[in-house]
Amino acid sequence: MEIKTEIQNIVKRTKAYNCVECGKCSSVCPISLLNGVCLPRVTVRKALFETTDVLLRDELLWSCLNCGLCFERCDFDVRFPEFIRDLRIVAHKMGQGGVLSHNGALQSIMRMMASAELRQNRLGWLSRGLETAEKGEYLYFVGCLPYFDTFFAYLDLDLLNIAKSTVKILNYLGITPVLMPDERCCGHDLYWTGDLESFKILAQLNWEAIKATGAKRVITSCPECYYMLKQEYPKYVGKMEVEVIHISQLLSENLPELKFRKPKAEGRKPRKVTFQDPCRLGRFAGVYEEPREVIAAVEGNKLYEMGKNRREAICCGTSGWMTCGTWSKQIQVARLEEARRTGAGLLITSCPKCMIHFKCAQADRDRAKRAKIEIQDLATFVAENLMERR
Amino acid sequence: MKTSTADIITALKTKEVYLQFPQIGRGRYPIRKIEPSKCKVGCPIDTDVKAYLGLISVGKFEKALEVVKRDNPFPGICGRVCVHPCETECRRNEVDQALAICALKRFLADYELNKGRIKNEPIKSSRREKIAVIGSGPAGLTAAHDLVRLGYRVTVFEELPVAGGMLYTGIPEYRLPREIIKTEIDAIRELGVKIELNTRIRDLNKLQRQGYGAIFIAVGAHKGLKLRIPGEDEFEGFLDCITFLRAVNLTGKAKIGKKVVVIGGGNAAIDSARTALRLGSNVHIVYRRSRREMPANAWEVEEAEREGVKMHYLASPVQIIGEDGKVVGMKCIRNRLGPPDSSGRRRPVSIKGSEFQIEADTIIPAISQEPDLSWLPKVHGLKISKWNSFLVDQETLATNLPGIFAGGDCVTGPRTVIEAIAAGHLAARSIDRYLQGKPLRDEAKPRERVEFEIPTQPKGKKERAQMRKLSLQKRRSFKEVELGIAKKRAVEESTRCLRCGLCFECAECTPNCDKRLVALTIPGEASGLLLRVPVDYAQFPLSNEPLQGELSWAKGEGYPVIVEPVIAKVRDDLCRGCGDCVEICDYSAPQLYEQENGVKISIIDQALCKGCGVCATICPSSAITMGHYSDGRINRFVEQSLTKKGIVCFVCNWVYNLIEDVEEVAGLRVIRVICSGRISPALILRAFENGAEGVIGIGCPQGECHYISGNETAEQNFQRAKSILRTLGISAERVKFERLSSDEPERFDEIISSFAEAIKKAR
Repeated sequence: MEIKTEIQNIVKRTKAYNCVECGKCSSVCPISLLNGVCLPRVTVRKALFETTDVLLRDELLWSCLNCGLCFERCDFDVRFPEFIRDLRIVAHKMGQGGVLSHNGALQSIMRMMASAELRQNRLGWLSRGLETAEKGEYLYFVGCLPYFDTFFAYLDLDLLNIAKSTVKILNYLGITPVLMPDERCCGHDLYWTGDLESFKILAQLNWEAIKATGAKRVITSCPECYYMLKQEYPKYVGKMEVEVIHISQLLSENLPELKFRKPKAEGRKPRKVTFQDPCRLGRFAGVYEEPREVIAAVEGNKLYEMGKNRREAICCGTSGWMTCGTWSKQIQVARLEEARRTGAGLLITSCPKCMIHFKCAQADRDRAKRAKIEIQDLATFVAENLMERR
Repeated sequence: MKTSTADIITALKTKEVYLQFPQIGRGRYPIRKIEPSKCKVGCPIDTDVKAYLGLISVGKFEKALEVVKRDNPFPGICGRVCVHPCETECRRNEVDQALAICALKRFLADYELNKGRIKNEPIKSSRREKIAVIGSGPAGLTAAHDLVRLGYRVTVFEELPVAGGMLYTGIPEYRLPREIIKTEIDAIRELGVKIELNTRIRDLNKLQRQGYGAIFIAVGAHKGLKLRIPGEDEFEGFLDCITFLRAVNLTGKAKIGKKVVVIGGGNAAIDSARTALRLGSNVHIVYRRSRREMPANAWEVEEAEREGVKMHYLASPVQIIGEDGKVVGMKCIRNRLGPPDSSGRRRPVSIKGSEFQIEADTIIPAISQEPDLSWLPKVHGLKISKWNSFLVDQETLATNLPGIFAGGDCVTGPRTVIEAIAAGHLAARSIDRYLQGKPLRDEAKPRERVEFEIPTQPKGKKERAQMRKLSLQKRRSFKEVELGIAKKRAVEESTRCLRCGLCFECAECTPNCDKRLVALTIPGEASGLLLRVPVDYAQFPLSNEPLQGELSWAKGEGYPVIVEPVIAKVRDDLCRGCGDCVEICDYSAPQLYEQENGVKISIIDQALCKGCGVCATICPSSAITMGHYSDGRINRFVEQSLTKKGIVCFVCNWVYNLIEDVEEVAGLRVIRVICSGRISPALILRAFENGAEGVIGIGCPQGECHYISGNETAEQNFQRAKSILRTLGISAERVKFERLSSDEPERFDEIISSFAEAIKKAR
């Protein structure tokens, strides 16, 4: 297909032609607010009126966070994140791309997983006391945690604790989850940065593997995996006879069964907590209340909301391991400051990437003070507060 | 006009080539092939002078001493008595004065002594063969030192009660304290060399029967030559300088009178005169030519005069005059200088009727020496020259008898300490080859390194460091005259070095080096040519960005080239201001600056950046890119190379220099980066993504990284990649970081084949 036609199709599919150039999108876009280039509206304008080169060779195409705030704000239903995503797919074919963070190491990892011959060692973290199965009704889709944990070891995050905590919670609920030794990256980042081909392979390989386990419910601890498996996979692998749920949803379903430790009885002060809505869980999947219900259920803890929460929540500053520069840093620091202003001492998120990005922003010595707040993943927070089963 | 990199290299080797930047100015910069530094070429043992000077300049004294000791087991001795041909060659002579290289070497030795020397670990012998060395002078001990380090068992035989040969018996204590000799010989002993004192060898066959597989004769030249004038040897009070110096050095005294005349103009003559002076005598020196022709070190002559030695230049002895069996004087004749003789010095011609007489009770001839061969049995079968020295093959030091080698003064006649050390090294090499059954001559041609530069003009004059000296009043004792130089002065002096010569000669890219690399590429060609340029805006247009240049080597012709500085650059919109680069850089090149909006970004000072690329591998947002050695360019090489499956081998510039010739190994692609610290986890992963069977990085040995700690970053980067690849099911055997020392470039093949083997097994 000719590029011109492809772009016209994208405009149609994402309703970009609806744009009336009111500029509301730009007024909420975290990147536009910092770099002064009104990004969403201008890109739409370029798609409609400029040559394909001007549109696709524009570096700004790769600075969009795909956080979805613009779409949330748009009164005319322009599906801006998808618009950008599909333009990136076209641009990718032309050899265009953003500046890959960490020199592209993470993209290499993801693409290597798209090889069918790959035999990973991704379950080395499973320790005694964590019960898993090879076949069964429940499947825990771990995501890239085993890779992130190694790669970001210098940030001292213990990211695999998220996976361990998730298994621990599932076991607590009487579930022995299936863990797949040949699970692969869900493909979110490649998909959203234009590498459709690699994504398709990953999706196919993952779906075959999931089918082989006989699982009926797929649980994820990562919102990106959740969103991709639930909403995007069926478009490419066909109807999936499984239910995909995020750990926060499972927890909220089973709240009555969860017995939490009582801080007062243990002589601890209850914690003041705030919550970061991950874009993929919130705006992209509409899961806002479940994590909050779970946090609130933990004895004695109080949730302090940030000014911008739920639909209005601000992104963790970067997406797809790409173009993560000074704007990203400023968004992160501002968001962490906002979290601090709530008076909370603990920021909970349910996305490992939010955690990595925020911790990275905190790692820099100069900013540390202003942005200092403890950060924890929802699963580890819950697992830590569960009462030991007698 | 079009050209290719190969054409440029040919032109650079044969023609005057100029680089111009028509768009920015009219400057025309000549490109020259870099010659090896003259100090190194001038030194008989190829000491890496530039390397240790560079290390001193950054306060790394231990490391500097290590560099010296690599080639020379006698830094304290050479730091005092070496005739330092390196200083004669020094290019700084053209600007002001030569570097005080010898004094700096001594400074290092002093530094170690003051700090407390750590004993050497004995070297485990790994070879069966025993080797005998006859003579414990610098030649013999150097050979012993080298051979014991090669794993041989070595015994040195010395007929005197002390080791050191001429170092001990010939050189007076005020120039070379006995403690220094003792310490440096002890260091050799500690390695495992046995020294048998008071042992005169009389029979070489017997040594061979005792199981010594090879013998090195290094007995020196300890027999004074005759004056061949009437009265010689007839009277009491006539003694040869060697006998005299040996007596003083071994016993502290000698039988001399109050009026001493020394004959000769070499160092032995000056040493004898100054020694006699210290024993309380009035001393005259009679020398047949003028001061300019004196073979003795000029600075020694000067000190002798200052101490009160009376010089009679242009005078030759004619007759020794004695009374009652004792010397009472010497008759001399005055000379004028005639045409030059075979030595190139003007020949003295006696002036008729100019005889004069000097009163003397002691006469010490010091006109030259020859080897004393009285220890040899009547029938020994060795070829001897008409000067009573051993005849050997100059390139191997082999005598006419198999397994017997000879070197040092006993072959050349009296020469310098440094030449004796050189002979020791050569003997050790030949003996090793002989015992291994290899041909003695190494037929392999030494490789010529080809590097290019735009020469730097030295900036301003700087005074040479002078050694502190003992005051004249105190010179009637044997206390050391030269007192060394202080640390601060040593560091200052070392920065006078112009750093001429090849780039890879430096042990380290020091922060104060005023050269930097730029890459010269022809538009459209992937690989380029590295060029050293001055870091001085007045001498070369420095830029962060690639510049359009033009090369010309014939009239009217201009070939477009891109001149790209090999330095790190930060893209400010991508910089997160985290400061990781500030922390990792050993040269303080990146600094954080706060912008108006309060956001910090890193800016790299291009005058400080050495282009190693370590910062680029750890920058989380990939904001730092390297000039010429960009990820994009390196990855393109990787992709090209992996059209067939194979091994990707990243090497640092210095390893690349060692292996350039052996690049073509089947299934192996060598990719050069500047420093091994440039190899990021991403580059390693990318190679595997492209289908590499294995990725190996090769950098410099621990502690020898040219970018201070770049190879430590490499180690960490490989470790990081390894742990990620393990999760991806790629076994640790397929990812490796190795180190290759410049001493053993041939180990490269071994490293690669064992890596290939390991990969095969891992599959």
